[in-house]
Amino acid sequence: MSANIFDRRRVNGPPRSVEPLYTDEGDVKPFTNGGRADGRSLDQLRPIFIKTGPLAVQPTFSPTAPSGSAYYEQGKIRISCAVYGPRQGRKSNPRMGSFDCDFQYAPFSCSWKRRPHIKGADEKEIALILEQAMAPAIRLEAYPKACIDAFVTVIESDGKFATISAAINCISAALADAGIELYDIVAACSMSLNASQWVSDCNQAEEDVSQCSLFVSRMPSADEITYLLQQGKTMPDQTDRAVQTCSNSCARVYAVLSRYLQASMEQPAS
Amino acid sequence: MASLILSPAEQDFIIRGVEKGFRGDGRGSLDRREVTLRTGMISQANGSARCRIGSLGVGTDILVGVKAEVNTWAAGEPEECGTIVCNVECSPSAAQEFEGRGADEINVELTQLLDRIVGGEQSGLDLRKLCIIPRQAYWVLHIDALVLDVKGGVADALVWATRAALLATKLPRVVVESVTDDSGVARAEFDVVDDAEDQMGLEGARDLPLAATFNQIGRRYVVDASEQEEAVTQAKLTVAVSPKMEICAIQKGGMLKGFAPSLLSEITQTALRIAKEEFARFDALFAEASKHNGELDEEPSTGSTFLEPF
Repeated sequence: MSANIFDRRRVNGPPRSVEPLYTDEGDVKPFTNGGRADGRSLDQLRPIFIKTGPLAVQPTFSPTAPSGSAYYEQGKIRISCAVYGPRQGRKSNPRMGSFDCDFQYAPFSCSWKRRPHIKGADEKEIALILEQAMAPAIRLEAYPKACIDAFVTVIESDGKFATISAAINCISAALADAGIELYDIVAACSMSLNASQWVSDCNQAEEDVSQCSLFVSRMPSADEITYLLQQGKTMPDQTDRAVQTCSNSCARVYAVLSRYLQASMEQPAS
Repeated sequence: MASLILSPAEQDFIIRGVEKGFRGDGRGSLDRREVTLRTGMISQANGSARCRIGSLGVGTDILVGVKAEVNTWAAGEPEECGTIVCNVECSPSAAQEFEGRGADEINVELTQLLDRIVGGEQSGLDLRKLCIIPRQAYWVLHIDALVLDVKGGVADALVWATRAALLATKLPRVVVESVTDDSGVARAEFDVVDDAEDQMGLEGARDLPLAATFNQIGRRYVVDASEQEEAVTQAKLTVAVSPKMEICAIQKGGMLKGFAPSLLSEITQTALRIAKEEFARFDALFAEASKHNGELDEEPSTGSTFLEPF
């Protein structure tokens, strides 16, 4: 439905387009001859890059600038997040603050199809997942009547579950940058099951051929799992094993996040 | 669903009760409320079911209709599979906050949950059997659920009703024949047989999962929370288990807290343990429901008369 709406405020592409000729590079099958296409080991995560404060307007303070922001890369995934608040919200609860999350794929972010500007059901659901994964970490009772908003934009995605976990890590960094009171940093990691082997942090090609994907978000020092999502069929002991491995990977992501955040505190960004 | 506001004393009463193994309505922590199931009440649909969890006409009430349509294949779609499209809508009659756009968020949440459980291969349905002619035509099963009343445990009732509706679904037979046109090129054509007698059930529908939602209240958890219990729930976990005791989907819900890892594995173990009883209960109810399939005058299916008086 949304694809047919002509949006005159934006530059629309040509009405008809021809698929480009791809080189053979895209045809590399994941998991051929036992290993992964990018040479990682089965439980190796893609390298992570974080930067807080890319959206801050400095040095002049602007009322429209976000209270905190973060940019996150994990392999090909690129995500930016802006956090506003605590500020006055529409829903005001005298006992607790509220945390709202907005998630959007950029139109060019997915490899298989252009994303329409109008939000799809999956984006709305991911926003809800992010809210539920992050809210347990935020001291919402410290912000009565206030509202904290996180706006996540996916600039490039590579694997749905990997993108959701990357978004969680990105929001964590942005919330910390905004100085919101947190119980702990939430770190997340995804995994997919391929030929009864769990593979960490899968990209799109690897997720496509897997029979089951799962992600765990966790507060490592509080030892609390804030979100768990599994799509696809597994045997019960496989799920247990995956949650275990994912939890360990979350601790590794957590180490990267907290090391960066500590360093950024010691040396304020120039 | 946070519309129900309880006083601190009442919240405390529920939380402490659950921690000691007592619930307001006398159930054990893993007991489900009374389930009522009816099938085949929508004559226009290929399969339908209504599930109510709760007693005496008060409870979560969900109506599911399955409608099959033939779709022409377009480039980029799977070549030898049919598809399942889920849609869940919460009626404003269920709760006042569902009026207007108020139900948007919960609609999306439940739709995606249902899609995660029954929308693909993990449901056990044989999607290849829904293909009519590869790269030409396939069946689309539209699963439309209407939430008529919300009294806690919507996700469970939704999956129960959907399983019943899909088990009751009958697809018309399709005849595929090879036609040679004037230029001598052979191609496949199909015909949907329009005969109410000549229909068959879905392949693999018996492998469809059932879901149980575990609500964490205080330090313990309960299955099938009532409306009051849901108001004090800190986190919940929906686990879908197939009859072969595989886990088909897991989803966490709730904004307030997370789960301790030990509690999490305890919950998945419990989900598998109670699944056997749940399937036995479902099968008994479904067999009972199929006996008077759609006989409306004998069994009025609306309002509080939907339930048999005790």
